[in-house]
Amino acid sequence: MSSEPKEDVAKQDPREAVDRSCRGPVLFLAFSAVTWLLVYSVFAMLAGVKVHASGMMADSAWLAYGRIQPASQLALQFGFLVQLGLAVSAWILSHRGKTVLVDGGYLIFGGMLWNIGVTLGFLGILTGNASGLEGLQMPGKVLPLLFFGFVLVGLSIVQTNNRRTDEEMSPAQWFLFAATLWLPWVLAGSYLLIHFFNAKGVMANIVDWWFIQNFARVYLTFVGLGTLFHFLPALSGRQLMGRGYAQFAFWVMLLFGSVGGVGPGAPVPAWLPALSTVSAVFYFFGVIAVWVSLNQTISGASAADTADSLAYNLMRLAALIFISMGVLNVFFAFPGPGSVAEFTTYGPAMKLLFNLGFIGLILVAALYHIFPSLAGIDFSPKMTRIQTTAIVFGVLGATLPSALGGLMSGDAVLGSGFYFASLGDLLLLAGSAILFLNFLGAILFSIKNCGCLAGICCRGEKKEANA
Amino acid sequence: MTIGLSFLLGLLAGSVSYFMLGLWWPLAVLLGLFAWLAFGLLDVKMDSTFTLLGGMLLVFCVSLSGMVLRANDQLSGLQYVDTQDVDGTEFRYPVPPLGQARYGEKIYKASGCVACHTQQVTHESVALDVKAMAGEKNLAAVQEAASRFYKLTGRKASGGAALGLPAGEWETIVTGANAADASKARNFLAAAGASVDVQVRFRGEDLMHNDLQNPEGRNWGRRRSVAQDYLFAEPPMLGSVRIGPDLANIGARYNRDMLMSVLLDPKTLKKDSKMPQHGFLFEQAEKDEQRQPTREAEALVDYLLSLKSANYPLPEAPVDQPFTSSMPKPATAPAEAADTAKPDEAGK
Ligand code: HEC
Repeated sequence: MSSEPKEDVAKQDPREAVDRSCRGPVLFLAFSAVTWLLVYSVFAMLAGVKVHASGMMADSAWLAYGRIQPASQLALQFGFLVQLGLAVSAWILSHRGKTVLVDGGYLIFGGMLWNIGVTLGFLGILTGNASGLEGLQMPGKVLPLLFFGFVLVGLSIVQTNNRRTDEEMSPAQWFLFAATLWLPWVLAGSYLLIHFFNAKGVMANIVDWWFIQNFARVYLTFVGLGTLFHFLPALSGRQLMGRGYAQFAFWVMLLFGSVGGVGPGAPVPAWLPALSTVSAVFYFFGVIAVWVSLNQTISGASAADTADSLAYNLMRLAALIFISMGVLNVFFAFPGPGSVAEFTTYGPAMKLLFNLGFIGLILVAALYHIFPSLAGIDFSPKMTRIQTTAIVFGVLGATLPSALGGLMSGDAVLGSGFYFASLGDLLLLAGSAILFLNFLGAILFSIKNCGCLAGICCRGEKKEANA
Repeated sequence: MTIGLSFLLGLLAGSVSYFMLGLWWPLAVLLGLFAWLAFGLLDVKMDSTFTLLGGMLLVFCVSLSGMVLRANDQLSGLQYVDTQDVDGTEFRYPVPPLGQARYGEKIYKASGCVACHTQQVTHESVALDVKAMAGEKNLAAVQEAASRFYKLTGRKASGGAALGLPAGEWETIVTGANAADASKARNFLAAAGASVDVQVRFRGEDLMHNDLQNPEGRNWGRRRSVAQDYLFAEPPMLGSVRIGPDLANIGARYNRDMLMSVLLDPKTLKKDSKMPQHGFLFEQAEKDEQRQPTREAEALVDYLLSLKSANYPLPEAPVDQPFTSSMPKPATAPAEAADTAKPDEAGK
């Protein structure tokens, strides 16, 4: 795409050119992500129902709780979060850098590979080929596929960042750039250690915990924070304050987010849980620095453009969830409170709150802002309001009661919070189904009516016409 | 950030990682240097991808070596150790899965039992018992040391020690002490010339129930799990959530028939059980016939029966002895009392 005639691009509004280069790749990734969110919520709902009705579908091995639960996690993290994260990163980096997206074709091809990988992993878990680990549940064989898919997408994103117009990089760019590089390193490292060098005994779990920690505390957090650092100032029309704080947070969170994550009672040498406690405490300093910087930036501000106020408020909610979870995480990282929460439903509930309440909300909000400029048409406002309400209350309903219930009733007991969580699951299902329909409808409508998207499906013809 | 402040931060990072985390010293130095560089010396402009990339690579190496490779160094040397069965038979531990158990492990993995069951017995606190034996000659001195210890820690003398130590017999001086108190007691007594024996006991909800010592116990194991237990697991399915009970020691609690009925219909064992039925592990030749376990179900149960790790004492995780203060001598048969909770031993 970058080889298109330069003068042509220069004459138009540069934003228009940037959007045009992003259109196909970003919408492709975003659409696959939204589809995976729907898959996730269907399977999460099913898993919840299976716990209540233990005899239901008991004869079908495919639908055993132990298979659909990890499969739904895979759909959520690798299908939804990573892909929407990549789509948003690509858009932000090309807009911030005031440059067209370089090699958008790699992005599409890599995205396809990634989708194939996630699908194979998903089916692999359902057919009983799970690895038995917690973070990398998918069969080991699909990891190389995921790796190459991600590297292709990453190539395009990193090159785009390198072609930025301004030499100076803003915090949003550091965080997104670092995240894009970090995941393939960690993925490759864990794959090699677990499957290639055949980690023995609990070493496999240690590598797996290392992966989980890096995936959540570094990769996903950096994607979320990078997006916040771009959009909160951009949408409120202000300048990002406290670049020094952001820099401090970047290195501290990178260093201390990349080690730890071992539970207080784990059957491993005692220094590993101790290291996890210490790193969680230091990580918290990074969280505080982020908070200070964001707070200085947006205190008292509201969205500059009323069209963006939904996206803006969602992001502020997500930032609030981020800081509250930061406080809880550091509290429960200490052995005393930690062993109370260990093995209860508090753990998975907080994981879900992190995935959907923090990262998910930010990315969906970013999608609300990005989508109209790419598709030339906005989501239906009514549906958007319903789906947003359903998703927000769904996330809170699926997590808070079961977190609280877990803490109160302890492990190996299903507290009443767990039952309540199914209501949250139901809302989430409704929300993600509407989001999916909304997205699909908007795309179909714009292809049919305004022709803005015709460029995607009939790019070949257009090129000929240009020539 | 100024150079002075960043140097202090670097020093802090280095010393924390060496003294508190016990990192290998070159790593700690590297970490400190890195923190110094990152925070200040470069006062990183953060505008060149090269700077970012360099810092990130360094962090990646520190993280990989500091957490993963270091653990590998420590764990790759795990070997068989000698231990004994509940009835005192000595054997080498751990035992690789025998017969169908390896296949059963695959079924356990494929069915995702790990989503609801952990396989790690944990402990919450450590309690120490100190016993001492004095000879004829130093009896008075030992008695003196013991009462000095009681006075210092504000304890009351327990059991026989309160009546005066008999010469030539083991006597419990203190039970359930924390590490600091126990080492005080040991030092005092040893200085007075007594022979001293310190015993470590683990307490926690997961461990064996004992009315006095561990009233909350759920009988999930006689000791906590340690890395040694998983030498042959592929991979260890430790789990992180307990919807159901821990299974690290299930082979010692349940027999074959009970496990089969848990899989087919857990409600036969407990009416409101939340354990899902696993009908797909059973087959039915004729309509009205009883459902028969498939090869998979047999293998899975073989595997479950092989899970008995939390039964055998290891040097790093000893098995408790029952509380003995009412007896003049330490008990010699530690096993029986802890085993009463098992429904059936014959199942293996
Ligand atoms: C939906 C979560 C779930 C899944 C998946 C699950 N279990 Fe359970 N399991 C439970 C619960 C809950 C109990 C406690 C039952 C009760 O209420 O007595 C239990 C109890 C058990 C028990 C009895 C333990 C005891 O000490 O009483 C065994 C054995 C067991 N499960 C084995 C398995 C095996 C093997 C699998 C995989 C094929 C499995 N479970 C999958 C939830 C689950």
